[in-house]
Amino acid sequence: MRLRFWAAILAGKGAYHLSRITGGRGSSLPGLVALRLFPEMLGAFARQARCGAVMVTGTNGKTTTNNMLARVLEAEGARVVANREGANLVTGVTTAFIRASGLGGRVGYDWAVLEVDEAAFPRVAEVVRPRIVVVTNFFRDQLDRYGELDKTVSFIRSTVAKLPATKLVLNADDPLVAMLADTGREALFFGLGAPTRGEEAQGTTREARFCPYCGQEFTYDYYHYSQLGAYRCSGCGFARPRAQVEALSVQTLNGVTRSVVRVRDEVLTLTLPTPGFYNVYNALAVFGAGLWLGIAPGKVAASLHRYVPATGRLQEFVYKGRPVYLNLVKNPAGFNESLNLLTASREPKDVFIALNDNDADGRDISWIWDVDFERLENCKEILRFVCAGRRAAEMALRLKYAGIPVQKIETCSHFAAGVRRALEGYGSIVYLLATYTALWPVEKILRRLATEVNGADSVSPVPRSS
Amino acid sequence: MLTVCHLYPDLLNLYGDRGNIIAFTRRARWRNIPVRVLGVRLGEPVDFREVDFLFLGGGSDREQSLIAADLQRRAAALRAAIEAGLVVLAICGGYQLLGRFYRTLDGTEIPGLGILDFYTQAGRKRLIGNIAIEVELEGKKIRACGFENHSGQTYLGAVKPLGRVLRGYGNNGRDGWEGARYKNVFCSYLHGPLLPKNPALCDHLLRLSLRRRGLDGYLAPLDDSFEKRANEVMLHRLGVKG
Repeated sequence: MRLRFWAAILAGKGAYHLSRITGGRGSSLPGLVALRLFPEMLGAFARQARCGAVMVTGTNGKTTTNNMLARVLEAEGARVVANREGANLVTGVTTAFIRASGLGGRVGYDWAVLEVDEAAFPRVAEVVRPRIVVVTNFFRDQLDRYGELDKTVSFIRSTVAKLPATKLVLNADDPLVAMLADTGREALFFGLGAPTRGEEAQGTTREARFCPYCGQEFTYDYYHYSQLGAYRCSGCGFARPRAQVEALSVQTLNGVTRSVVRVRDEVLTLTLPTPGFYNVYNALAVFGAGLWLGIAPGKVAASLHRYVPATGRLQEFVYKGRPVYLNLVKNPAGFNESLNLLTASREPKDVFIALNDNDADGRDISWIWDVDFERLENCKEILRFVCAGRRAAEMALRLKYAGIPVQKIETCSHFAAGVRRALEGYGSIVYLLATYTALWPVEKILRRLATEVNGADSVSPVPRSS
Repeated sequence: MLTVCHLYPDLLNLYGDRGNIIAFTRRARWRNIPVRVLGVRLGEPVDFREVDFLFLGGGSDREQSLIAADLQRRAAALRAAIEAGLVVLAICGGYQLLGRFYRTLDGTEIPGLGILDFYTQAGRKRLIGNIAIEVELEGKKIRACGFENHSGQTYLGAVKPLGRVLRGYGNNGRDGWEGARYKNVFCSYLHGPLLPKNPALCDHLLRLSLRRRGLDGYLAPLDDSFEKRANEVMLHRLGVKG
């Protein structure tokens, strides 16, 4: 038993170094190798957590929420193991432990902070037995992999029901998430107050227009995007629960998002060094987890203020003095939020979109037809769209049918050529949007090009200070 | 003015289905043919005689059960309209609903609208992946592609298939046929979505809708290079010559 554990760790560590040498990230392979040799590995690691584990799941915002929480705990002096790069299947979670462990397999940490894919959640949760589970939201994502959204929700529900000691941090604004509270677990809710964004949310893709309990159509007092908002069911009375953590006003200016946050009775200012509105939701989830962990809201806010985004989570670079943002897109709700960034400011901009259809992206790319590209039809500030990736031709086709003039749309068969085209445009900002498997190749190219032009020092990611 | 009807746009719109409506309306408007889109929700009235093109999309099980009763109330009117030549595109769940019944794994038969002669049998294996089919339109063969994702397996009675499977599963993964065709009704499992990448099929539906209005079906040619490219890239990947 002990011997197999060591053998598995050695093999895992070997796989990690091999992967790094060959240019990989080593974020999943070590776990894959180790679990083959010793399937109980994850459980053995998880039991070493002195204080326990927190798991973050949901469709969008997992990586950001997870990394924010890890930062907050570290600022409290805790030693934390976390899968920070978004590798969130059983293999990725196991890899995080292998990388943190010594050769003897001792990890010596206080907390495991793990983002876990919705489909992998039941398996990981059963072994890890988290003290806290954070659920961000449920949107349709990769139906070819998961089947229907309802199934995903019910898997998570039945798993949570089997963990009597687990406490929940739930998004009050998402009915599909809020209903997890009826599993009987102790729950805290976070949400946004009435919207302050000037424009009306335009998303037409809503996952839960109808009450999941009785089928009546929800009435909304207001909604933020997709199905998130203040819903009420006139049939059975199910409604947005009162949120213990609530953002009262959100403003994005010059790449910084500010809001007023109420945590129970305390009111404080939250400053996030990112223009992504939706990151307020992620931050609220962290305040919620902080309440269960007994961390003062002021300390949470201070850590979040210095938050540096993970790869492709609206990561900022500088190229020839212009800001370049790299953002992961993987489903309609998230993509629509990325489009908000494109239309939020009046500066001219160039846009690069890399659409892949590998297993990790979802082999079916039909979801791009659910993204509201029509909003960009008359957006003169976008000078050019460069499409790349295995489905570049279909991305270009989608843009054409959104009414965007075909003269503005280009396809490039290689990422490098496409990224270069976008960077050398006339815009003053460049947005690079990429699906999962396109993200790392694009980031690599971006770093290389930026180094060539700027020299190593001005190559970002640049954490914004404010 | 052509009228497009999207039945239950909030419920039957599982995965990019609205791409078919977008393609139909854009290709009409690019030719200066005015179009309006009616979204008809649960319980809302619609006169199918005023509709030129009806679209039925796919939905999840929960959503399909919500519409079942509402749809049954419309069955007689829909049948009459279809017999009178209404142009319909039905995808996935919408396709299955037009048939005689859906038989679940335990043998229960959930009745469909019974307008077209076919039935669907639940399968254990989900039929998922990129698919290419050959469809004959007005004597010309075209190669259409898309993505299929269904566990129901459909068997045709007295209706023609939409096309022949070149790559992928099709109706049931066995008989080599994909979709169904009856009068001006076109059914398919290709939800890719079907029309944007396959403009000849989209134009065929547009032409049928115009003719039914008593208009001449002439359509000014469009520059379809983006469409052709998207179609060819997929056919090439599937090892099918364009």
